[in-house]
Formats: sequence, structure tokens, C-alpha cells
Amino acid sequence: MEIVLPYAGIVLLVGPSNSGKSTFLKQLIDKGQILPSEIISSDEFRVRVSNLEFIDWAHRWKDVSESLYNDYQRISAEAFSLMEATIEARCRLNKLTFVDATHLYPDDRKRYIEFGKKHHVPVVTLVLDVNQDVLLERDKKRENPRGTKRIKQQYQVFKREKRFIKKEGYLETYFISDTNETEVSRRNSNPLYLEIENGIDIIGDIHGCYDEMIQLLEQLGYEKNAEELYVHPEGRKFLSLGDIMSRGPESLKTMSFFLHHVNENLAYMIDSNHGWKIARWLDGKNVTLAHGDELVAEDFKQYKDKEKIEQLKHELKTFLLKAPSHYVLTKQGIPTLVCTHAGIKDEFIGKQSDDISDFCRYGDHEGVNETGRPIRKDWTIHHKTSTLIVWGHDPKPKPLVINNTINIDQGVVFGGELTAFRYPEKEFVAVQAKKDYYEGLNNPLMELKKKRLNPPNIAKFIGGFTVSTNELGQIKIPKEYALSTIDSVSHYTVPIEGLVYIPPTMSPTPAVSALKNYLEHPKEAIDYYRSMGVERMVAEKKHMGSRGILFLFKDSEVGRKYVGRETLGVIYTRTGRRFFDMATEGEILSRINESLTANDYFNKHNTEFLLMDAEIMPWNLKAKELISSQYAHVAENAILDRGLLKDKIESAAGSNVDLAKWLKEYEDKLANARVFKDVFQKYCWEINEIDQIQIAPFHILAHSHETFFNKPHTWHMEMNKAFSLMDRLFVETEYMVINDRADEEEVIQWWGEITSDGHEGIVIKPETFISKYKGRLIQPAIKVRGRKYLHIIYGMDYLEPENLTRLKKRNVGKKQKHALKEFALGIEGIQRLINGESIERVHECVLGTLAMESDPVDPRL
Amino acid sequence: MQLTIRGTGQDVNVLSYLLAKNPNNLYERNVSGHLVRMFFSKFTDDEVEVTIFVTPDPIELSRNNSEAYDITSYINDREFAVSSIFCTFIRTALGTALNGKPTEEYEPWVNHPFSLQFSFGPVASQLTDNELLDLFQPLGYDVAITYGEVDYRMDFKRVSTARYITLEGMTTLQMGLRQLFVLIPVLDNYKHYYIDEKEVGKIERYGEGWLDQHPLREFILRRALRFEELYNLVEKQTVPELKTETEPKSRLNDLRYERIVRRVNQLNFRESIVDFGSGEGKLSEKLGFVDGVKEILAVEPSESENLKALKRYEKVVQKENFVMPKQVMGSLFYYDERLKNKDIMILCEVIEHIDEDRLPKIMRIILQEYRPRVLLLTTPNQEYNAVYGMDEGYRHPDHRFEWTREEFQTWSKKQDEESKYDISFEGIGEEHEQYGTPTQMAVFTRREV
Repeated sequence: MEIVLPYAGIVLLVGPSNSGKSTFLKQLIDKGQILPSEIISSDEFRVRVSNLEFIDWAHRWKDVSESLYNDYQRISAEAFSLMEATIEARCRLNKLTFVDATHLYPDDRKRYIEFGKKHHVPVVTLVLDVNQDVLLERDKKRENPRGTKRIKQQYQVFKREKRFIKKEGYLETYFISDTNETEVSRRNSNPLYLEIENGIDIIGDIHGCYDEMIQLLEQLGYEKNAEELYVHPEGRKFLSLGDIMSRGPESLKTMSFFLHHVNENLAYMIDSNHGWKIARWLDGKNVTLAHGDELVAEDFKQYKDKEKIEQLKHELKTFLLKAPSHYVLTKQGIPTLVCTHAGIKDEFIGKQSDDISDFCRYGDHEGVNETGRPIRKDWTIHHKTSTLIVWGHDPKPKPLVINNTINIDQGVVFGGELTAFRYPEKEFVAVQAKKDYYEGLNNPLMELKKKRLNPPNIAKFIGGFTVSTNELGQIKIPKEYALSTIDSVSHYTVPIEGLVYIPPTMSPTPAVSALKNYLEHPKEAIDYYRSMGVERMVAEKKHMGSRGILFLFKDSEVGRKYVGRETLGVIYTRTGRRFFDMATEGEILSRINESLTANDYFNKHNTEFLLMDAEIMPWNLKAKELISSQYAHVAENAILDRGLLKDKIESAAGSNVDLAKWLKEYEDKLANARVFKDVFQKYCWEINEIDQIQIAPFHILAHSHETFFNKPHTWHMEMNKAFSLMDRLFVETEYMVINDRADEEEVIQWWGEITSDGHEGIVIKPETFISKYKGRLIQPAIKVRGRKYLHIIYGMDYLEPENLTRLKKRNVGKKQKHALKEFALGIEGIQRLINGESIERVHECVLGTLAMESDPVDPRL
Repeated sequence: MQLTIRGTGQDVNVLSYLLAKNPNNLYERNVSGHLVRMFFSKFTDDEVEVTIFVTPDPIELSRNNSEAYDITSYINDREFAVSSIFCTFIRTALGTALNGKPTEEYEPWVNHPFSLQFSFGPVASQLTDNELLDLFQPLGYDVAITYGEVDYRMDFKRVSTARYITLEGMTTLQMGLRQLFVLIPVLDNYKHYYIDEKEVGKIERYGEGWLDQHPLREFILRRALRFEELYNLVEKQTVPELKTETEPKSRLNDLRYERIVRRVNQLNFRESIVDFGSGEGKLSEKLGFVDGVKEILAVEPSESENLKALKRYEKVVQKENFVMPKQVMGSLFYYDERLKNKDIMILCEVIEHIDEDRLPKIMRIILQEYRPRVLLLTTPNQEYNAVYGMDEGYRHPDHRFEWTREEFQTWSKKQDEESKYDISFEGIGEEHEQYGTPTQMAVFTRREV
């Protein structure tokens, strides 16, 4: 007789005492087929809790016998509760467990059926069917004989129960009368595990879009061989997330394609809602074909060869019915990624049951809405482990990364895209649908587009929140900062729809200057980058104005699409507030729009919008009030105070040596005050007309279909130059590339020249926009401010040696952390915007950056 | 920060004894890093000039600032302007003169008036030149004011905000200094230390013999003591707050609340109410006493307003029949499922604070998602501004618009895209036959299905 044991689950041994359960298991251990730790025996647990394996309560005085029997019952109860806890733990961990006890009564066995259901593992019974004589014979020989009466009693029960066992719902029941004639085999690997070997390309919902599928496979590098099979030269395989059929044009052709490729071990496919429906239909079940499934039946009708079709139907039925609920991809045996159609719970991963199949097919759903469509619940929020889950089923405009899950159903059948996720490379490859094949109502991509600008759900933010960023992983925003930021967004910022990006803060040099008379110097910035393995850097002149984000639309209709109202754009500050008054903004937007249109910018770049990050000058444009009430006021007070004192001391000094010292001191202080007054005026000029405004863009963040974080800063600077040629409002920014020591010297000299002329300073960046060192993000930019400029930051006397010494003890750690997080949040938000994700998802990043900025940092940094 | 005392006339060199400073020496003391310095620039039988000034340590000065996370705590006038800090710094150096306790021999001179000139500054004050004159002239001084330089390359300001004051008159050194020690902090309107009862004693001591007769006594005390409680220690009776044209407006506020409460009372379904933009909770508090109301959601994004509201509710929470409003952090720009399907939603004077083009989306969420049985919406009636004598501009600087009755009614009807509501309009406040009432209200009532 052959016994096949599952990979994981419960193996229940059934039989009276002396039927040979333990002996049989011992044989298996000896043969190396099972491990001692896989056996849970009630006898062993009795010993563990009480030191006693057996109590004989028969043949005693009645009172003694009763007492012993009570003891035995208590010990058994404790032993069983521990034993069951252990079994449940092993089930949760998806292990195989042999339970060695008599299991004569139905209630004893029912417990395990329940465990199996609860933990989604199969239960198998091995029934040791030995006749009574043998049992009695064996009992006499054992150390603690149970006694004839008890054995006979047990056998009676066993005989009665035997015929019911099969119907109790086990995966398999084996009756063993002779253990020597039994062959045991077991599955040693999880059937849901797939080793990635040369790589796997996971493909989203195809829905019969055969042409797009072929195009995608070709794009992924698969080549058609002589047998019409698509094979990858590097041995990669492709894996479908299900729903390969229904709704689209060529369901049957697509199903046959997968049938052959899976049979040839070139591809994999998992179960799905449509797949299951078709499988049951093919199986002759009474199902109603709707939601595009009726098109599959239509396909079969069109099929000419009637004989072949029955054969194909049969093959497809088997193929679809046995498609696994999900696959777990492993790297050298270690699970790293899960593929499922509609969703999965963490505790389901690697297990099989009807409940799991159901969940993987339909996701987490709760009733239906007014139009009869299922209300989908968000299962992704419950995903807690590090395993990446790739899923489809619910069409999103672009791959949607949430909480370590990726949705790659981009609704090809609805006119969207067919996406592949290359693993382990983690790259997306997509092809555009040739058309919208499902011209029905409720196109989910359209619905999403319509809802894109819906106001963000405040519940997601008010308790504090976490943003998953591609560049820096999870970024936590604590509740207190979230609340004050929501307050600010509710009062002061431009509307949420237009507030798509907040620029990150920037750290000054990580170390202060080693030179005696400097607080900051380019050397420390360059050294920082060299120590981070950056060889090529770009040094850009840093303008002194106010940061401005320009979200510029091709026309006002595009404005309606992106921000919900007809407008040519929006310009806002780094706190999210409108940069100009409405009238000026309107004027500037039209002016820029005309210039860009005149240069055919939008058409040439095939974009609906341009998002840029810029410095807008002069400083007084935004800061006139601050300059007048703070900087000018301080300058006047300082010069008045110091000037009067200088004169007074001078008039009394005569030959007094001590007064002469005070005089020198006040002459210097007066000079400092004059430098201060001079410096802040450098960044100010009268604005009588728009032309006096200067906009210096330094990052072209995005067009409607792409971001530019993959472009080097030299590209961004050249683009900026191009803008300055299109409109006089845009000004070019000087920059230099640092390659070697000679360049370094040149940059330092340049910095020295422009800053002694009063310019703010320079910004040094790695040439690549997103730079990493040993896999970790490094500062995207470091500012190096000039000696003169710093008078208006650190105070007019900051260079006095006793002041500078103390000021050099600054710490930029927190500033740098903020800079990195805000940088990652910024990129993430724009990526989401470009992917057509909801404004709520974009807002999450924006709110995150704004909240980071309400965490106080030394404002002088 | 500096003070120069100049005396002329007979025996004026006695001043050095009253100050207890040797005119031949420079005085320099280090007060927690700041240098307090004094020198005589003139010293003859009939002319004495002494200057006391502070060279502060700017870093030490900014370190204890409570606003350490704002750039203005590092770049500010505190290290230059005369202020309470200055008075604290120089108090010890001028102790003898202030207390009138020179060596016994010179005691008779303490009460001897000299022809004195006090010049000090820079003064950073919100007060106008005339207000400055009004502070010093009643004390018998001739007052001269000079200004800092405003030679900027662009037009930041016409007149400098740094001033230097010179007082001239016949007075004793002690009186002159005591007056300055009271008035310099009053000018500066900024105090660097915690003001407590001791301050009251100080004012009483330094103010002796002149403050009670000063026509601006009350103003000086208020500014010097800053906090109402302290002020009341000196001035037992409470002086009513200045009230100008705010009165009709606050009455209108009450009228609005009254009307809304009355309207709510008339509604059959009033168990759950959402008060959007509840601010400091005035309306929600009143709704808490309405019969039949079981739940009030007071929605407000501002933390400071919410705190104020909480204090207000806590004052009445013990009262009978009061339903404590539930504070909900939120705003019209976010979606909040807690606000769905309530009986009544109220937007009292809210919409005019929102840019007009953002309103349709908000109204769609309210009418199609939140779906209250009744929505009450109030906003100013722009026509009525004529009654206030306003020809243009809005009633509040934050208003983004103010609508005529026709504009409001047309707009309201347009918002009910799905035609699920009956809309009626009413006025609140005293009615003018041509211009209507100051406030207008729309009542959206959901049609029963």
C-alpha cells in the first residue's frame, strides 16, 4: 500500500492501544522519512507535565481508584492542551505534524479537522487496523499493560467508529493492517514555491489581449521557436497573475497559449476569478457567464474543428482547475515574493485551502454596491511582512506600490497597458493597448480618472501616517506634525490638487570650514561627496530669492484635467502658499505659456504640463515685509548705535589707550553693520513690471508622461538655459562641472569671487540626480554660502573670532536627515502624479514634506 | 544701547559722586558675557558728560530666545535697542544714583536739580513721535528725536524705525534715571524677563513723585505691567476694553447664532449636527443646549481654535442638558466619512473665506457624499455693506468674496446638481428696505424619498 503525505498539515494516527502507532512512526524515523520533532504524542506530553506515562487505577480500593482516575483525567487535560497548542503552532508555521494518540472518539478527531480549517492545512488519517487478539497479545508484553478490559473496550469503540472515519472530511484516509507492507512517500517541497532560477517575468491581467501579450513577451526578450513556443534565451520564464481570458478579443487563443507553455514548463499561471468561472463552466457546472465571460463561450462556438474542441475543452478544464491560488517565488529556497491574483493575507502565504483560493481569486470584499459591483476592501494595509506581493485584478493606471505590494493590472482590456514586472530586477515593462476592447459602462480606468481629484480622506492622515517611498522606504510622520500641517493646508496653501510637490530642504556643508576665517567653504562639500564615492559633481550658482514651484499647463483645458479648474498653472512657495497675488500670477502664467507655446514646447516634448523647481527673484518679491521690519530695521539700529558710540569714544579718546581699544572695536563693529546693510540689499530691487522678475529654474521635475530624476544635473542646467532663451523671465544659472582637483580649485576660486561680490553662494550636487553610496541615499545637494552672505544669517559680527569659534560647533545631522526624507518624498509624489494616481496618494507625500518642515531645525542651517 | 547724561552749570561735577564713578577711569563690567561700559567724555567744573553703554554678546543674547527656530531670533534689534534688557544691564552700575545713596557727604545733592540732558537709544518703538512727546513732555523735558539712515537702494521705508531721543530739563539725577527706567521698557514694548508682583513694587518705587500725576499714567502702567492680573493689582477697578465699531458686528454674530438655534429647534430631525468651521466653539456650545440634540460634531482644523473651544465647553459641561460637542480635526478640503448622513450640517460664515472656484467641489461632497437632511449656510449680504457706508472692500480682510442676495441664490441653486434638495432663503439681522439684511442664509432640505 502506498501512502502519500502532504508537504504540511496534520497526520492523525488512529487506533487502540497496542495497534502499533508509535512503532510505525519509529520505523519511519529510522528510515529517515520523518523527523522525531514532527511527532507529537500524548504519552510524551503526559510525561512532560506529570512524569508519569501511565496510571493503573484498576484493581484498587474504590476510593483510591477514583482518586487515581481523577489524577489521570487532570494530567490528560493538561497534556492535551499543551499538545494542541504545539500542533496549532506547527500548523501556523506550515509544518507537517504526526499526532500519536488513539483518537478513538469522533470528538477527539474533530478538533484536528477544525485546526486544519483554521490554519489552512490538510489533515490526513492513518488508521491502524489490527485485530483484538493481536492487541491483547501485545499488551501482555509491554511494560505497563493497559489490561484486557481496557483494550477490549477500546477495540469495541474502534470497530464502531471505523466506518465513519472516511466521511469526516480528511484529505486522505489510509487503513493500515500491516505496517511492513506500507510504502510512504512525502512531498518534501512546498508545491507553491517556485525558485526564480534565471528570472521570472510576472504579467498582469491579459483578458484575451493576445496581440499585446505577444508584443510584451517580445519586448521582454522572448523569442518564438520552431514549435511556436516563446522561449527566453537566458532561460527566464513568465508567470501570469490569472484572468488571461474574458472581456477581450482572443480568450481561447490566449488560454491555449498558456496551456502549452505551462505544459512545456516555460510558463506558470495562477488561479483567478475569471479563470475559476470558466473552469467551472467547462466542468459542466451551472454557472451564469457574465462580465465578459460570455465572450469566452462565444470563442468556443466559433471554433471549427468540433472533435478537437472537446479535447481542448477537457485539457483547459484540468489546466484551469488545478491552477494554484498563488505562487511564492524563492531565491535559493528563501521566499521573497508572492504572486496572487486579487490579494492575500500574510497567514495564507504558502498554504492551500478553499478559503485561501477564494481570497486569492476575489480579494477582500464586502457585499455589493448600488450598481451590483463588489465593494472591494483594501487588503494591502494588513500586509506586514517583508515579502513583496505582486497582484492584479483591480486595474490601476500605473503600477501601484502600496505597503510592499505592487499592483500590475493596468487594464489593457480597458485601453490601458499590459504590464510585466521583471524579477529579481524589479523593473516594469509595459505595452499600450491597441484599443479599449471593453466599450462598456463602468470602465474602471475611466472611473479612477474621474475620481482622481476627489478630496483626500482625512482618516489616512490625522493619526500620523507612513509614506512608502521608493528611494528611502517607509517614512513615518508623527501625529503632531501631521495635525499642524493639515491645519496649514486647510488655511493657507494653494488647493491640494495643484500642490503636487514641495522641494526638500538643503543641508549646508556637513563639516564647517577648516580655515580660520570661514564658516563654510566648498572644500568640505566636495570632500563629503568624494568620501561618498562621487567623482563627478556639478557646482551651481545659488540665487538668493524665494523658492518657487511652477506647475505649468499646455492650456486651460489641461488645467481642468490636472487641478479641476481652467487655469494655465499655479506657482507656489516652499510652504505651499501662492507665490504671487492672483493678478500677477495670471499675468506671469500667460506670459510663460505664450513663450513656451511659441517655441512649440508642449508638442515637441509631447507633454501636457511642465513642472519645475526654481528660485524666483528678487528676494523682496516675497520678503519685503521681513526685509524692512527685520533686516533694514536691524541695520538702522546697528549703524545708529555703533556710529554714535564710535563718534563719542573718538571725541573723548585723546591719548587714552583703553579708549583707543574701544574705538578700534567700534570702528570694526560699524564696518560689520555696513556690510550687513550692503549684503541684504544685493538681493533686492524695485519691481514695477513683470520683466523685473527673474525665474531661475534648476530642476525640470516632470512632464505629463515622465520624470527627469534619471537625468544628470548637467542636463537640467542645459534645459534651464534653453528656457532662458524662450522667455526673458527665465534666467540662466552659471555652473561648473567638477571632475578633478583642477576643477575643484577653479570652483573654489569662482565661489570666492562671486561671494565676495555678495552673491549667496553655490550648491554642489553629485552629477546624477539620485545618488547612492553602498546602497544608501546620499545628500542630493550641499549648499556652500559665502562669507559675506552669512552676515545676514549668523549675525553681522559672526566672523569675530570668539563668535566664529562658537558658531563652528553646529550640527547638521537633523537637517541632513530631513533633507534626505524630503528628497525621497518629493520624488515619490511626482512619480505618483505621473502614474496617474489619485491626488490623495500625491498629497500623502506633500503633506509628509510639509510635516517634516514643522519639525523644528536651526533656521540658520 | 546707550545712555549719555550731560549736565551743565554750577557744581555739576558733583554728578560723579552721585554716580559713584571716578571720571578718570573707564568702567567695564562683564554681566553674563555682555560688557557694561561707562566713560566720561567731558568733566569740567560746569560741564559733565558721561556715557553708559552695553556691548552685548549676540550669541548669548539669542540663545535664550523662545523662538529659537525662527531666523528673527538671530537677526533682531535686541542687541542694539534700549529696552528692559538694557535697564537690567545698567542697573547695578547706576545703583547709587538710582537709589540716591551716595557717600554721606554728597547726600544733600541727591535732591538738587541740575540742568540735565539725557540722550538714549536706539529706540525701537511702535509709538509715533507725538506719542513719545506725550510721554516725556509732561515731565518737563524738551524732547528732540533723531533718526537712523534710510539710504537704501530701493524704497523700503521713508523714515527709519531706529530713533534716538534727547531730553533736556531741570531735574535731579535720580528722578531723571528713575523716569527712564520706567519709560524705556514702556517705549520698547518688549520685556525679556518674566513679569511678576516684584515688577509692581519696582514701578511704585521708581514712579514715586511723578507717575501719579502723569496724564498717561494708565497707559504707562498697562504697558509696563503687560498682564491684566498684574495691572489689576495696581488698578482695582477694571477699565472697559476699547470698543468702537465692533459692536454692531458682535450683535450680528449673536443674532446669527440665535437664528440658527431657532431654525434647528424647528427641525424634526436634529439628533446629529455637524458644525463646520466651528472655530472657538461659540455656536457648538449653544447647540449643545438644544433639546433633542444628541451629537454635535464640531469640525475645525485649527489647533489653537480647538483649544479655545474646549475651554469654552468645559465651562458648561456640568450644566444640565448640555451635550458636549465632539471636536473633529478636519476641514472642507478633505473627505471625512465621520460626517456622513447626519441630520443637520451648518456652515456659518464659512464659505466666504474660501476661494470661490473651490466651492463647487466642496458642495458636491456635502450634498452628494455627506448628504445631511438639512444644510444651513450663512454668508454676508454684500448689498448691505452700503448701510455700513462701505463702498468697496469686504467686511473682513480674509473674505474672498461677498455676494448679493441674487448671486447667493443663483449659486446655491446651481450646487444641487442632483436636485435632491429644496432650497429656501432667509435674512438675518436688521432689515433695510432696499438692501435687505446684513446676513443671508440658505436652507437646503433633502427631499424625502
